[in-house]
Amino acid sequence: MGALRDYFAAIGRTIVTLGDGLAVTFSYLLRKPCTIQYPDRTPEPVVSMLPERSRGFLEADVEVCTGCKLCESACPIDCIHVEIAKDESGQRMIQRFEIDLSKCMFCGLCVEACPAGGLRHSHEFEGGMGDVRHLYVSFLDEPVPPAKKGKTVEPKPLGSIIRARLARPFDPYRGDRPASGARAPLSRGGEP
Amino acid sequence: MSETSPTSADRARDAILLNMGPQHPSTHGVLRFVLHTDGEIMHRAVPEVGYLHRGLEKLAEQQTWAAYMPFTDRINYMESMFCNQAWAMAVERLAGIEVPERAEFLRVIACELNRIANHHITLGCMSMDVGAFTPFTYLLRERETINDLMEALCGNRLTYNYMRIGGVAHDVDRAWIAALEKFLDHFEPICDELDSLISYNEILVKRFIEVGVICQADAVAWGLVGPNLRASGVSWDLRRDQPYSVYPRFDFDVPTAAGARGIEGDCFRRWLVRAEEMRQSCRILRQAIAALPEGEIRAKVPRKLKPPAGEVYACVEGARGELGVYAVSDGSDRPYRAKWRSSSFSALSIIEHISPGLMIADLVAVVASLDTIAPEMDR
Repeated sequence: MGALRDYFAAIGRTIVTLGDGLAVTFSYLLRKPCTIQYPDRTPEPVVSMLPERSRGFLEADVEVCTGCKLCESACPIDCIHVEIAKDESGQRMIQRFEIDLSKCMFCGLCVEACPAGGLRHSHEFEGGMGDVRHLYVSFLDEPVPPAKKGKTVEPKPLGSIIRARLARPFDPYRGDRPASGARAPLSRGGEP
Repeated sequence: MSETSPTSADRARDAILLNMGPQHPSTHGVLRFVLHTDGEIMHRAVPEVGYLHRGLEKLAEQQTWAAYMPFTDRINYMESMFCNQAWAMAVERLAGIEVPERAEFLRVIACELNRIANHHITLGCMSMDVGAFTPFTYLLRERETINDLMEALCGNRLTYNYMRIGGVAHDVDRAWIAALEKFLDHFEPICDELDSLISYNEILVKRFIEVGVICQADAVAWGLVGPNLRASGVSWDLRRDQPYSVYPRFDFDVPTAAGARGIEGDCFRRWLVRAEEMRQSCRILRQAIAALPEGEIRAKVPRKLKPPAGEVYACVEGARGELGVYAVSDGSDRPYRAKWRSSSFSALSIIEHISPGLMIADLVAVVASLDTIAPEMDR
């Protein structure tokens, strides 16, 4: 008899507690929805909705880069490649400033290390590419001399550098395309 | 350690081996169980781990002390903040670095927020694994607010990398504190709403009650920690019993759900402990906001940090319990060895012990209630 009573009591409790739960669910019918219809129906682009500290793709302003290579040594996974070498006239030049965004884990240690403020996280995060190599970004078109310490330039809008770079993919093979299957020159220090 | 092929005893009782996972939605990550069963009731369930091994302990030996911090985020993506803190504490103790008071408070605030976010996922997954999908979406919505707060605080939503050796990376401003208070005002009633939505739902209770019972002695012997241990009736919390950071200044309870429905150490008690812990975290957050001192957020640490040779074990009360790191320094700028003690691993190891006689469907509930995370076991 006790077992039977328990059985029906459990059914009773089920109905009551289900009602409690459904009352909560029903109350949401009357509340303001919190869903954001990403990506096409947001009130403004998601990139502009992100908080200031948000860490998106890295972008480097080579105009203020002093070529100290602190970012390169701060990166835990070696995704930044900076190469400084003298050109024919004996002038120190930044030969390469490349970041492998497909490897980057957005930790922000390089940004903290940069004394010149030339490296920062943009808010860009939509970087879907047809080929993962297109996320290997060069911030230089041709070798430039390193900036003097304390050089200031007009700050560029956040994300403008990396947007421009991602729009025209950089070819890590740089001309001498090796036979298919060979790896891009991603090793540290510039050697292919 | 485990057998993955039938034994003669298995053959004698017509048992079959059944693989659950490694790609199974309810195993919470890539985790495989070998079930010895002859139907619905299991003779044994043997967990097989190692699918998510990334060599994070070995990686420490190749990084400088400070540069290992982002890797600790990946040890357990659900409680990155605690991994950060354990590592920071270990290095600070090795190098004898004093952390500014404000930084300690910010660490507590960030960690308690992370604990709430973790319990959202845990409770959500627990309910989802036994068939209630709606609470998961509701809890995920709350967690989204925490993610937004975290993004405003440290720049990332999941892999925070917020702490640094000797402090934290970013300070908070009034606007952030106001946003946090707004979240707390909004969230505290949600805790009660959760109770009426699902906690005492009879169908959920019936699925969890008296299932996967871990008695007090077993829980201690198998090294369970955190909410799993407390649900078994052992009131043990590192924040209270082995104080670190500024936790002694806060007034909070350590819930064990004693006297609630169910029996000590069953899945339902583990649910209740976590639901109550969210409330306690809110209490700590309120006190931390009120008492947040002004001052520095980062101690002066040399750029090339070289802690003196020695070894240290630092542990924090993570969302799953004791999360510790044993670090050895040989006086160089890189760790000689780092070894993590993770709560998921010990929680998983007890499954083989409690599985005999358990139903396959209940194993899902037990795994969910133990709150195991595959990447944390394998590291």
